[in-house]
Amino acid sequence: MFDLMLTGVGGEGVLTAQSIIAKAAQMDGYFISGLQLHGLAQRGGTIPAFIRFTKKNEAISPTVMISNADLIMAFEPLEAVRATQYANKKKTTFIINNWPHMPIYANILDIPYPEMKEIEKRVLPFAKKVMIFDTHKLALYTFGIPILGNTMLIGAAIGTGNLPIREKTMKKAISETVRHGLEMNMNAFEMGLKLGKK
Amino acid sequence: MGNDTLEKPGKKVVLLGNAAIARGAMEAGVGLVAAYPGTPSSEVPIVLSEIAKECGFYFEYSTNEKVAFETAAGAAWSGVRALTAMKHFGLNVASDSVSPVAYAGVKGGFVIMVADDPYGWSSAQSEQDTRYFARMAKIPILEPSDPQECLDLTKLAFELSEEFEIPFMLRTTTKVSHAIGTVTLGNIKKPKTTGKFVKDRSRYYNIRPNLQTLHTKINQKLKNIEKKYGLKLNKIHKGNGKIGIITSGVSYKYTLEICRLLGIKIPIAKISLSYPTPESCIKRFIKDKKEVLILEELEPILENEVMAIAKDINPKLVIHGKDMLPTVGEYTLEGLMPIFEKVFRKKFNIDFEKHRKHADVSIKEMPLRKPVFCPGCPHRSTFYAVKEVYGKNAVYAGDIGCYVLGIFEPFEMQDFVVSMGASLGVSHGISKVSNQEIVAFIGDSTFFHAGLPALANLQYNDGNIPLVVIMDNSYTAMTGHQPNPGTGITGMGEKRPKIIIEDVVRALGAEVKIVNAFNYQQLVSVIKEMKEKKGFRVIISRGECRLITKRKLSSTGSTFTKFMIDQNLCKKCGICTNNFACPAIQEIRKKKGDQPVYYINPELCWGCSVCMQICPHKAIKPIVKGNKTVPGGAD
Repeated sequence: MFDLMLTGVGGEGVLTAQSIIAKAAQMDGYFISGLQLHGLAQRGGTIPAFIRFTKKNEAISPTVMISNADLIMAFEPLEAVRATQYANKKKTTFIINNWPHMPIYANILDIPYPEMKEIEKRVLPFAKKVMIFDTHKLALYTFGIPILGNTMLIGAAIGTGNLPIREKTMKKAISETVRHGLEMNMNAFEMGLKLGKK
Repeated sequence: MGNDTLEKPGKKVVLLGNAAIARGAMEAGVGLVAAYPGTPSSEVPIVLSEIAKECGFYFEYSTNEKVAFETAAGAAWSGVRALTAMKHFGLNVASDSVSPVAYAGVKGGFVIMVADDPYGWSSAQSEQDTRYFARMAKIPILEPSDPQECLDLTKLAFELSEEFEIPFMLRTTTKVSHAIGTVTLGNIKKPKTTGKFVKDRSRYYNIRPNLQTLHTKINQKLKNIEKKYGLKLNKIHKGNGKIGIITSGVSYKYTLEICRLLGIKIPIAKISLSYPTPESCIKRFIKDKKEVLILEELEPILENEVMAIAKDINPKLVIHGKDMLPTVGEYTLEGLMPIFEKVFRKKFNIDFEKHRKHADVSIKEMPLRKPVFCPGCPHRSTFYAVKEVYGKNAVYAGDIGCYVLGIFEPFEMQDFVVSMGASLGVSHGISKVSNQEIVAFIGDSTFFHAGLPALANLQYNDGNIPLVVIMDNSYTAMTGHQPNPGTGITGMGEKRPKIIIEDVVRALGAEVKIVNAFNYQQLVSVIKEMKEKKGFRVIISRGECRLITKRKLSSTGSTFTKFMIDQNLCKKCGICTNNFACPAIQEIRKKKGDQPVYYINPELCWGCSVCMQICPHKAIKPIVKGNKTVPGGAD
């Protein structure tokens, strides 16, 4: 069994990433269960999503158990900190995009957004490994579209060997899911793979 | 995960629970679907609306759940299979019609999909348990536990509904509707979309003495259903020991997983047909047990029924349920684990509480991330302007829609939120006993849903105090931009003449002012003018949902004019961030106490220009070509 958690900010593509990864895992022969949680005008809030892969059709819960995630992909850095309850030192890898999405409450309640170093420090006690990528910045500079950093982060996760899905399958899943800008998505995915393999 | 809903029979795909329900309806040959969107049920109509034309069935977004229910009932009475889907509160709206239709029975299969929301993920205003409702209305319930069952039980619900000529309810919770899972697809049935209403006094003549005949009939139908399917649909899994579990819905999945983790194989009764009371299954299950643990979220409904049955069958049976578990919120793996440890005397190796506390420390002092109005949202400027004119002390009546986010800081302008349309009714009541200033907010879709009767009441019963602000963004935005009568498109994507909100409100006798939600000066002056007046008065603050505008623009390859802050003019007053709270405007400070820098992230700016209009120092300007800005992020 492989327990994956995705987290990020509502409206920033977490659920699309979930459907692409779930589809790919399905094509690779896994049985899938999982969950997406949204509501309350999806935008701007924390969006956690789970995908659980099993080899057999085991009856399992849609939620990942606290302290039990194998991989946590944070599409927004601060959300990695909020996901720590699902992680543990023995098994969890964090793959984090380092592009912050400022919550307005940082301003209104005057709580400064933490530095990347601080985020890493807070995640480390719950992680076997923390890997931070510049995906969204790179996507902005390459394509002018930061959200393509999501596809890039998926590529990076596969490139590092932490997301057990074949490259080919993932490409197929992307091509069957993405409605606009397929070529850019493919390029972003390839860039991510390279980043991950470095 | 909707685009796999149409895949070929036999194929395995990953579907959202709600999408699987939509597929189940297609496999049952549904001929008519009518719904009003409500999370966590929204994706059922979203998926069906997208494919209705292609599959050849009729789909509509009705103005509210009652109308949707009645529309589907009409089709079912005419022999066509019909579906309506709603959230738990939707059923309250529909409730007036539910019992009479249940008594009359149906000809075509009629499925009422209702999604409950323990824990309130959808921002619901209570944790009501629809299973009580179904018992009151005498409607049988099927409860799926995962996406595959969502598909299978929806299909089955249509068949059983036709077999017993009674509406069936498919009841989910958020963690079933929003679960994803591998689903094996079946054949799609060609929909039958035409029928005929046949007059039948024995069925539709529902006043006494026939009412009692109908009541007797529905009781008999429920008995027949339990007799024929009680043991077939509610499954007993054999296991070791004399302690068993009776469970349904997502709790069943938690049960299986916890049993696997603890390495125990215990007897389980999995209840799928949870009403009529699963008597035969419970009798068989409890007769040789010493103890049972009943796992059901929310109210102890099964538990009470098991207690009643045990009196005759096994009076010594020890029954656990709500003595150990809460009726509040939802169940989780972590919450159930200690209960299993206690009842089955096994120890699991993780202390969740300790781990959670440890993790809580890491989140301490990190900024919150509550949902916010999108950049460029017309509601933001409307709230901002109303507050400018009315200040903090007016009573701000809230309602259901994206504008419910006005409940949070810095606006705090939804003093109460009750239900669809209730901003008007409640403020009318307050105005009759108090002379406080009141502003009642309501959206366009909510106006058509339940606002109209309350507005008529406000006028006729001389509600002269509340100022009504209709926040018209042209869509049912919160649940995914479904069309409503003010949109000009139907649920099947066809153009229709819009119903003009101001015409309706004027016809009710109101003085109406229409303002552009993105024109701040106009907003403020109209609000000031209306504040001074008495009588039935309505402001329509109109501005298209910015997400829709954004989509329209990007489909033509263009984008918004972005705005920037001139650092030479910025006096760092913080109004644009702290009071206006646009997520595109960021206050950057290296550490607490440092002098901040304000800047607009061009990636997030959707060009509404209102920040430029409210900046007291005229420091915000449109970006003219050649004027470089820092591209996003905190660097």
